Amino acid sequence: MGFLDNLLGRKRETSSTIAKERLLTVLVHDRVKLTPDDMEAMRAEIIAVISKYVDIADPEAIDVSLLRGEESDHLKADIPVRRTRH
Amino acid sequence: MARVITITSGKGGVGKTTTTANLGTALAMQGQRVVAVDADIGLRNLDVVMGLENRIVYDLVDVVEGRCRLRQALIKDKRFPELFLLPAAQTRDKDAVSPDDMIELCNNLRREFDFVLVDSPAGIEGGFRNAIAGADEVLIVTTPEVSAVRDADRIVGLVEAFEKGHPRLILNRIRPQMVNRGEMMSKEDVVEILAIDLIGVVPDDEVIVTSTNRGEVAVMQKGSQAGRAYNDIARRLLGEDVPMLVLTEDQTFLEKFFGAIGLRPRRAAR
Repeated sequence: MGFLDNLLGRKRETSSTIAKERLLTVLVHDRVKLTPDDMEAMRAEIIAVISKYVDIADPEAIDVSLLRGEESDHLKADIPVRRTRH
Repeated sequence: MARVITITSGKGGVGKTTTTANLGTALAMQGQRVVAVDADIGLRNLDVVMGLENRIVYDLVDVVEGRCRLRQALIKDKRFPELFLLPAAQTRDKDAVSPDDMIELCNNLRREFDFVLVDSPAGIEGGFRNAIAGADEVLIVTTPEVSAVRDADRIVGLVEAFEKGHPRLILNRIRPQMVNRGEMMSKEDVVEILAIDLIGVVPDDEVIVTSTNRGEVAVMQKGSQAGRAYNDIARRLLGEDVPMLVLTEDQTFLEKFFGAIGLRPRRAAR
């Protein structure tokens, strides 16, 4: 399998890349000191504020996450909004 | 000008004590006057790793509480004229010593030595705070595992909060074959995550176990990859520009090649 992936240029999900991704996620939460509960509460409030102004297409598709940056970490919110035609 | 260097990690069992013993010995072998201080009060271990456990009379707490003079508590390593150990107390706990006590102790040791290496206990509580109190520099030891790297990240933050400058990283117990297979984080991965300078990478080496069994250290064993790595770190501490060891697998390409044509290169002969 690994050989075939390499041949086709596919990036294999090895345990070390999983380790690195898990670490980056846990560290950004450690550093920003945001618990999963706080994160969920914030997500709900962001949705409430945004939906006062625009129509959110699919509340399930909303992605709020913390990302690690060089100088500082980032809070990224990806919120799909519904197109409207007049 | 003496340097006080604390070796710490956050997580236990990643090789702080082994690192302290090896760096202390390597520095002494290069003519530096070195004292290794065991700051893990109550869980004394640096003495057995250095093979000096039978010679302890007084310990660090005896010095701090004035039961003996500093020089009486220092154990001279007979194999290396420039190497000394200040052992931890075994029957007390971390509260027997305060950060101010440690600063005073380190300052007294500065007068006698070129290097004061302080072996920190695991954790982020009082014992760790004592261990870094007198430090000029901090070395953080980690292994390429998620738990150890997470704890190391916490320690980086604390060391910076205590204004001990930028700590440097020792990545311990790397297994090159696993890294090549993508089954272990590489030094590049760990350095990227922790964002601190790397001072050395130490391979996982059976010699650490066998030499510690005997109360010796890896830098005394010729042909040991871990010993070589610790020697290189000692030279980097002395300001030499030593290239990072390219870690070989159990067999290097050349060894495989020579093996295939029936020759045995010298490393395979040990």
